[in-house]
This record gives sequence, structure tokens and C-alpha cells, in this order.
Amino acid sequence: MHVTVDMNLCQDHGQCAIASPAVFQMNDDGKLEYNGNPDDSLRDEVEEAADVCPVQAILVED
Amino acid sequence: MTAVAQDQAPYFDISDPTFAITSEEVHAAREQSWYARTNYGIAGLRYDEVSRLLKHPKLRQGSVQWPAHNGITEGPWAHWFASWLLNKEGADHHRLRRLMNPAFSPKLIGALVPRFQALAGELIDGFSHPDRCEFVTEFAEPYAARVIAIMLGLPEEEWPIIARESTTLGLGMGVTVKDDLPKIEAALANLYTYADDLIADRQKNPREDFVSKLVTANREGDGRLSDEELRDGLVLLIFGGFDTTRNQLGLAMQTFIANPDQWTLLAEQPELGKAAVEEVMRVNPTVRWVTREALEDFEFEGLEIPAGTTVHLFSESAATDPRVFGEKAFDITADRKPHFGFGGGAHHCLGHFVARSDMSEALPLLARRMRNPRIDGEASWLPDSGNTGPMRLPIAFDAAG
Repeated sequence: MHVTVDMNLCQDHGQCAIASPAVFQMNDDGKLEYNGNPDDSLRDEVEEAADVCPVQAILVED
Repeated sequence: MTAVAQDQAPYFDISDPTFAITSEEVHAAREQSWYARTNYGIAGLRYDEVSRLLKHPKLRQGSVQWPAHNGITEGPWAHWFASWLLNKEGADHHRLRRLMNPAFSPKLIGALVPRFQALAGELIDGFSHPDRCEFVTEFAEPYAARVIAIMLGLPEEEWPIIARESTTLGLGMGVTVKDDLPKIEAALANLYTYADDLIADRQKNPREDFVSKLVTANREGDGRLSDEELRDGLVLLIFGGFDTTRNQLGLAMQTFIANPDQWTLLAEQPELGKAAVEEVMRVNPTVRWVTREALEDFEFEGLEIPAGTTVHLFSESAATDPRVFGEKAFDITADRKPHFGFGGGAHHCLGHFVARSDMSEALPLLARRMRNPRIDGEASWLPDSGNTGPMRLPIAFDAAG
């Protein structure tokens, strides 16, 4: 599974980090850091993260 | 960058019901300083600072102090307010947020668009006069209440209960909350009864709807959602879905009445509906301030912010900041940076996909059917702070098919 966040859209709201903390984290400055190649076992929560992103900046591909 | 010394920054008593958050006075203060001092703490006035403070790791959501700020520390309303998802943090918040999220997934919205369009058409057809209406009671209230009924799987014909009780609960978001408390608590009791009946019904007769899913989560007995959380949460969803949308629709009409060329453009180009919602929420958001509270002492733009400070972020002032948006203009075709009308960060509005969708369907339809709208009689308004909007907005227009 491949995850891409469009950083031009991302506003660092952090909803993805609530849905899938294993893949998305907010750092000490409040900025998003994420793993672009998470394990397939995390698919449900990664898709949840993409779904809840307020600016729909997360793309999940096989 | 040097901040204005704290005692020189502009000061506003924002608990005064006559304080106007969108006034020239506030806009003038924005030119002096990025923040103002208030009777609660400080208020952010400019786009860049507000944008960063909205999601700042040293700040938590600050509304939790709202009842105490108004001298209300106990009773059913204070208890319910403390239960809000908005007023929880960390693991507790995240668990509840993830349970609520599926009801408002963007995946659900597409299928509902025809229902939003039909509802808007039905309400306009039902106006008591062909060329005038009281916009709040004849459109904004039934539209907002029936949309939340659709989303939660409640019977649409019960919308007057949702509208009446939620409107009264909405007084709790205003600076006159203490005077209104007996009314607010009576409305809360009525909505608790409504929620209890709904929960009991779905426990007996589960359906394919959101309330049934929540009830099922509740019955699994794994500590995911207690009975009290379920009831408090449902009342919050009903109230939060209704009050804000009703107010925002009224504010949209106010803005478009003042900008008739934009209304005509929207009627001609309904695909501008989405952009119209964003532009209205930039210049005239119902959520006039977003509240934060400092978790620890920290420095921001040269200002020492002690732990516990309440930080209000003035959404309209920030999103009309000339440093970012240039000359004052309302233009639904302009490409704009994000506004703050849905808050931001962990507490970003849960229902924003629905609110954006239902308003972006309603506004172009209203623009097409109600040409040349103008205020027709006396409008009445909630205070211009907290959550605002018209309580009454009589409009005359030229009817069009």
C-alpha cells in the first residue's frame, strides 16, 4: 500500500493521526509526518484517515 | 517581529452583548496588533497568527471553560457541556470522535445531494407568500433540522422538535447564557427525553442507520460507549448539526443581499455553490470565535502566554485580514486561502462535509428562485460574538420559476 499526502492541501489538522496513529503523527511543531509505505494490515485505518481528512489531501494506492 | 507590549495592545470586553466582533473597531485593532487583550485572555486578529494558533500543540480546545466564564459551574447544562466531544482531549476524545466520524463520512454525501435539492425546492414552494418569506422559520430552520434528521435517520416530520429545542440550546453559546439558563435547561431535558426514546426504539428495532450503529457499539459492553455518552452525544449531534447550519444560512442571505451581483451570478452559475459557501463562511461565519486554552507557559510572536490563558481566535477578522486577502471584497469566483469557519485541528468540525454539501445545494437554488432579495421589515439578531445569526430575517424578492 502506498500513501501520499498532498502537502499543498494539508493544513495539519491532524484528523489522520487520530484515525491511524501508526501511520500519521503530528510532530512537536504540530506538522504532519507520515509513513508512505505502511503495512497492508493497516489498510482499514489508513482508509479511515483518508476519509476523515477535512481537506481530502490523502491518496491511498495499492 | 516585535509584539506590542501587552498593556498597549487593544482591549475588548467580549462578554458585553453589544460588543461587535465584526466591527470597524476590531478591524482597526487588527492593524495595530496581531492580538487584542480581552476580559477572558487574548484574542487573535490576523490570518497568519490565527492559522498557527488554531493548531498549536501548546493549546487545547478552550470552550471547556465557557460555562465557568459565565458563572455556571453545576447543573444539567454545565454537565452536558462538559460531555461534548469538543471539550474532551486525548484518548477519550479520539475514541468518541472515531465512533462519530462514520455518520458524516464524505462517502455518504453524494447519495444525499438529490434529497437536499428536493428539500430546498419543497421549502421554497411552501413559502406562505409568493414574493416574501421569513427566511429563518420558513427556510433555514426546517432545512437545517430536516438535514440532520436525514443524516441521523430520524423521522423528518419530527423536525419541529429538533428545531425548537436546539434553537433554545443555541442560547447557551451566546454571552447572555446565564439569563437564559432556565430555558436552556428545559430544552435540554426535552432533548434528553427525545434521545432516550430514540435509543430505546433502536435497541428494540435496530435498523441500517447511524443511531442503530451507535446503540450496537453501546451494547457490545466493551466499554466503548456508555449509556450516558450515547445520550449526551446524540443531543450534541442534533444540536450541533442544526444550530450552526440554520445560522450560517441566514448569514449567507445577509451577505448576498448586500452583494446582489454575486447573487445573480450564483443563480446563473449554480456550480459556484461550493465556492459561495466558502466565501460566505470567510466573511460572515456563524462561529465568530474559536476558543483555545494554553496547556503550559509558552512564547508566541514575542508574547508570553501563561498556562491557562484563554485564547479566542476571531474568525472573521483573521479571514478578512488585508495582509492575505487584499482589499475588502466578497467574490465567489476568487481563489481564497482556507477560512476558519469550521475551526481546525483535532476538533475540526465533525459535520463539515454535510454542511458544505447541503448549503452548496441550497444557495444556488434560492438564488434562482428568489431574485433581487431585500430585507422586508425588521430583522433580529443574536449578539455579534460567540455563535451568531439572525433569529428573524424577513425578505421580499421577485419570484422566479
